[in-house]
Amino acid sequence: MPLHLTLDGETHAIEIVRRKPRLVLEVDGRRYEVVEDVDQGVGSLVVDGARVAVARAVVEEGPRETCFVRIEGRTHEIGLIDPREETAGRDSSRDEIHAPMPGAVVTVHRRAGEAVARGETVVTIESMKLQTALAAPRDGVLAEVLKSAGDTFDKDAVLARLVPADGD
Amino acid sequence: MISTSGADFRRNEAHNRTLVAAFREKQEAARSGRPKRDLDRLAAQGKMTPRQRIEKLIDPGTPFLELSSLAANMAYDGEAPGAGSIVGIGVVSGREAIIRADDPTVKGGAWYPLTIKKIVRALDIAIENRLPLVHLCDSAGGFLPLQSELFPDRFMAGRIFRNQSILSKIGVKQLSLVFGHCTAGGAYIPALSDYSVIVRGTGAVFLGGPPLVKAATGEESSVEELGGADMHTSVSGTCDYPAATEDEAILIGREIVAQWDRPAKWPIQRETAEPPAYDPQELYGILPDDIKKQFDMREIIARIVDGSRFHEYQPNYGSTLVCGFANIWGFKVGIVANNGVLFNDSSLKGGHFIELCDQNNTPLVFLQNITGYMIGRDYERRGITKDGAKMIMAQSCARVPKFTVMCNGSFGAGNYGMCGRAFDARLLFAWPNHQIGVMGGDQAANTLVEVKANQMRRAGEAVDPATLARVRAETLAAYQEQTSAYYSTSELWDDGIIDPLDTRNALGIAISVSLNAPLGDKGYGVFRF
Repeated sequence: MPLHLTLDGETHAIEIVRRKPRLVLEVDGRRYEVVEDVDQGVGSLVVDGARVAVARAVVEEGPRETCFVRIEGRTHEIGLIDPREETAGRDSSRDEIHAPMPGAVVTVHRRAGEAVARGETVVTIESMKLQTALAAPRDGVLAEVLKSAGDTFDKDAVLARLVPADGD
Repeated sequence: MISTSGADFRRNEAHNRTLVAAFREKQEAARSGRPKRDLDRLAAQGKMTPRQRIEKLIDPGTPFLELSSLAANMAYDGEAPGAGSIVGIGVVSGREAIIRADDPTVKGGAWYPLTIKKIVRALDIAIENRLPLVHLCDSAGGFLPLQSELFPDRFMAGRIFRNQSILSKIGVKQLSLVFGHCTAGGAYIPALSDYSVIVRGTGAVFLGGPPLVKAATGEESSVEELGGADMHTSVSGTCDYPAATEDEAILIGREIVAQWDRPAKWPIQRETAEPPAYDPQELYGILPDDIKKQFDMREIIARIVDGSRFHEYQPNYGSTLVCGFANIWGFKVGIVANNGVLFNDSSLKGGHFIELCDQNNTPLVFLQNITGYMIGRDYERRGITKDGAKMIMAQSCARVPKFTVMCNGSFGAGNYGMCGRAFDARLLFAWPNHQIGVMGGDQAANTLVEVKANQMRRAGEAVDPATLARVRAETLAAYQEQTSAYYSTSELWDDGIIDPLDTRNALGIAISVSLNAPLGDKGYGVFRF
C-alpha cells in the first residue's frame, strides 16, 4: 500500500518498491532509484544518477511536527498522511475524554475555554501505580473539565468535554 | 510520535545518561577494581587475569556478551565483585560458546553462594541453548564460612556437576582449561568435561589438597604429586593435555574447539539485517525520569528493530499490550510490550499472539514495563484472573525461544505473564532504571500499616501512630533497596544490567545462540475460557 505525502499542500502517492540493494521508490506511478551518497556527507542523495543536495528540518508546534526540506535553493513543506488518522482530527463523535480505568486525577493541564489540538494532554491520571496522560481525542475547545487534581473516578467516567472550535 | 526536542525529552535524557554513567562506573569497578596485592600475587605466579585469558581465548575482533557483570554487587559487603566469576557468550574458533571463568583476583576464586548460582545459571543457559561451554578453572573452592548456603540444596554446588553430566549426555561439548587449583567439588569440573587442558606448575586437580590429606591420613605430598599436570595427563587420565604455559593451554583449547562439529541451527525466518531508522541514542530521552510516568513502548521498539519496521498486530484491541512482528539483526521475532496495565482484552490478545508466534516458529521478545493486571470488582467479575491465567499458560507452554528485557517497572503478576525470571526466558536483561517487586514500596507500606493497625485493634490495644510510622518507614526503606535493578542483578534475578543502547546487540547474540536447540513439540495445558 502506498504512503501518502503532501508536498507544498499537494498529495503524492509513494510506494517503496524495494529497499535492497538500492532503494527504489514509485512516486505517482514513476520509479526512481535513490542512493545515499555517503562520500558527500549527510544530505547528499543520488536520484536516478543525478546528485541532489538535501537539507531537512522539523518544526514542532504542540503535538504536531512539520517537516521542511530544502532542495536546490528552494524550501518545500512535507506532510505525512496517516490513513488511520486522516479523518480523526475533526471527528465530532469523539467529544469526551473518558477514564480508561478507575483512578485519581494527578494534574489538570488545560482549563475550560482553552483550544486544544488532537493528541494534546488534557488530564494526567494515576491508577495501578502508573500515570497515564489522557489526550484530546480531536481538535476543539474544552467545554468543561469535570474533575480536579486529587478527585477519584470510576472506569468510563467522563473527565472532560470538547466542543468544535469556532469556524469548524 | 515523541518529540525529540521538548523539555521532557531533554530532562529524561539527562536523567538516563546519569543512570547509565553510574552503571558503567560500577561495572568497570567490578571488572577491574582489585587491590594491588591480589594482582601482584597473580603476576608472581606467572598467571594472567581471567579477563586476559578470555581475551586470548575468543576469536580476535569478535564480541563478548558478558552476563551478570554485577552479580553480588550488594552482597558480602561488596567483597565479591561479579560474584568472583565471569560468564559470557563469545566466539571460539568460529563456534559460539559460553565461557565461564573463575576469578582468582577475588578471594582466590573462592565460590560464594552467588558464585554457585551464577555458575549453575551459565550451565542452564548451555543446556537450554545447546551451547558449548569453556571453563577457565582457577578457584580455591567453596567459601567455607558460608557452606550451608552453597552446598546442600537442589540448585547449589551439586547442581553444577549434575548439569555438566546432562550437557555431556545431550551432546553439548565442554572444555576445561585448568590454570589454577580445582579442589574438592571443583575437581569434578575438569573431570566431567569432555576435554581438559592443565597448565604445568600452576594447575592442579584433587579432591583433597595437601593440608587436608595430611590431616586426614597423615600422608605428606606435594601439589605436583597429588594433582599436577604431569601426574593427571600421564598417570591418572583425569586431564587430557599438559601445557607449559597459560598461553599454550589457550592455544590447545582453541584447537580442541576447532575439532567440534558446528551445531545445526533451526531455520528461523531471516532477512538481511539493517540498523534501526530511528537513532537508538534517543532511547535515553524516551525512558521517563520517574517510574510512574508512562511512555509509548512503540518508541522503544522503533529504536531496537531492523529499519524501525514494526508490523503491529491488533492495533486497536487491548491497546495496553503492544504485539507485533519485527526483525532484530535479521531474525524474525514477535514482540510483546507493555503500554499500560493489563486488562481482560490485553491479556487475551497477549495469549493469542503468543500462540500465533509458537505456531509460526517465531521467537518471542518481551519488553516489560508492567504494574500488574487490573484489580477491582468489575474486573474480577469479568474474569481478569482467568484471562491473566490464559496469558501465563500460553507464555509458559510456548516452545519457541523467549527473551525478556526489563525496560522499566516489573510489578506483581504482570511479571509472570510477561515472562519474568521464573518462566525460562533464554536470556533476561535489565536496564539500569528497572525496578521489580511483588508490589510497589508505597503499596506494600500501606498494606503492612493496615495489617499492623488491625493487629493492634484485635489485641484490644490503642492504635499507636509511632509504631505505624516505623512500620511504614522500615518497609519503604527495604523496598527501595530491594526493588532496584542493582539488587535484582546482585541476586541473579536477571542475566545482567545492560545499557539500553546495547539491547539490540544483546538480543541479536541471544537469538543466534538460541537456534542451536531444536524446537520441542507444541502443546498447551487447559485454558480456562
